[in-house]
Amino acid sequence: MTDRQIQILLDSFWPLLKAGVLYTIPLTLITFALGLTLAIVTALVRLSSLKILKLIADFYVWVIRGTPLLVQLFIIFYGLPSVGITLDVYTSAVIGLSLSVGAYCSEIVRAAILSVQKGQWEAAFSLGMSRMQALRRIILPQAARVSVPPLGNAFISLVKDTSLVAIITFVDMFKKAQFIAAATYEPMIIYCEVAVIYLAFSTVLSVLQNYVEKRLERFTAT
Amino acid sequence: MIEIRGLHKSFGSLEVLKGVDLTLSKGKVLVIIGPSGSGKTTLLRCFNLLEVPDKGSLRLGDNSFEFHEHAKIPQKDILALRQNTGMVFQSFNLFPHMTALENVMEGQITVQKKSKDDARKRAEALLAKVGLADKADSYPHKLSGGQQQRVAIARAMAIEPEVLLFDEPTSALDPELVGEVLKVMKQLATEGMTMAIVTHEMKFAADVADHILLMDGGRIIEQGTPDEVLKNPRTARAIQFLNHLNGKAEDSSE
Repeated sequence: MTDRQIQILLDSFWPLLKAGVLYTIPLTLITFALGLTLAIVTALVRLSSLKILKLIADFYVWVIRGTPLLVQLFIIFYGLPSVGITLDVYTSAVIGLSLSVGAYCSEIVRAAILSVQKGQWEAAFSLGMSRMQALRRIILPQAARVSVPPLGNAFISLVKDTSLVAIITFVDMFKKAQFIAAATYEPMIIYCEVAVIYLAFSTVLSVLQNYVEKRLERFTAT
Repeated sequence: MIEIRGLHKSFGSLEVLKGVDLTLSKGKVLVIIGPSGSGKTTLLRCFNLLEVPDKGSLRLGDNSFEFHEHAKIPQKDILALRQNTGMVFQSFNLFPHMTALENVMEGQITVQKKSKDDARKRAEALLAKVGLADKADSYPHKLSGGQQQRVAIARAMAIEPEVLLFDEPTSALDPELVGEVLKVMKQLATEGMTMAIVTHEMKFAADVADHILLMDGGRIIEQGTPDEVLKNPRTARAIQFLNHLNGKAEDSSE
């Protein structure tokens, strides 16, 4: 590596990290929070006996899981304006990613709720709890424990998937890398550098995931 | 206290209860016995409407229900009934994410809306009563089956039910742990708790029951005091069932 290349590497580090901290991480956190809420609602609807809502939920999961996220982002950002709905790039990115997270994670949440033994519902009912009380106090806390590993994976995937928003002109960490690569003519260095930063983010999250799993394990059998 | 008339229940095409009548007065212990598949567990689960009967009526204290096919029972009536009943399950069904103490507090806090302090006081007293004061902070997986079932009894009693329902409370236990659970149940019986118990423990039934029902094929085929039902059964089917049980008891004691 030449001195110039090392200088570029060092010069670009802070702008990249700044874009990551200011855009990639907040985008990940916001979309995961919204997506997880959507996932829980969708899972509950699909487990309920509300026929019409259930059809809507099934349709939503089917469409989102069956089409590429990139295509969904293009439809929201480039397609919707032609039917009179113009969203800025931030809103488009948040909506697109949240819908995706919601659909995938609803399956995780649904499976986790179904994994809780029927006897737990019955014990809650026998104390006089309503369905909502049983769900909130007894079922969801147990389902949460089961769903932490797969939800953690979904969260880490999301950090990386946010880079797709660069293609709809969102200046996230990856878009920033594209700018720097174009200006310096050093794509190899810059893209490897941004890859390392993504790797660092994911690693921190994996450690966090392990910690949460450990904490939730305290009440389960050895 | 509890009055059941003409209770019918089917699962699909299988008719599990074919018209059951019974009365259980306050402070009495009812024991329900019978071969597996006789409908005894289903009958018990109708007491707190974990199973909703197709036909018949149920009265428990101030809660009355008339069942008709396709007629929905209002949810709030079901919840009110369940606040007056406590149930102990064959497989304990303690809440694994809560300590023994929290298990016993849960119904009081979530359903009865008691303050945490009041709930804790009552829970501690109940755990002491079932001999587990020192296990208050243990999670269920750290407890033996017998200990878990005693916590489950304390949990069921915590909401101050008018009747306690036991669904084969000792069937999932290792033989050496059965005694400690039966001892707690016997103590409750002598204190005047109204109880309905499905069990295979005949000696226990003979000891504590005020009234025994023997069920077969969805019907009550014998009933009366323990002496009447266990010592002088009248129907051939009852004699066959009791002989079979006694035979099994002799086998296992060898």
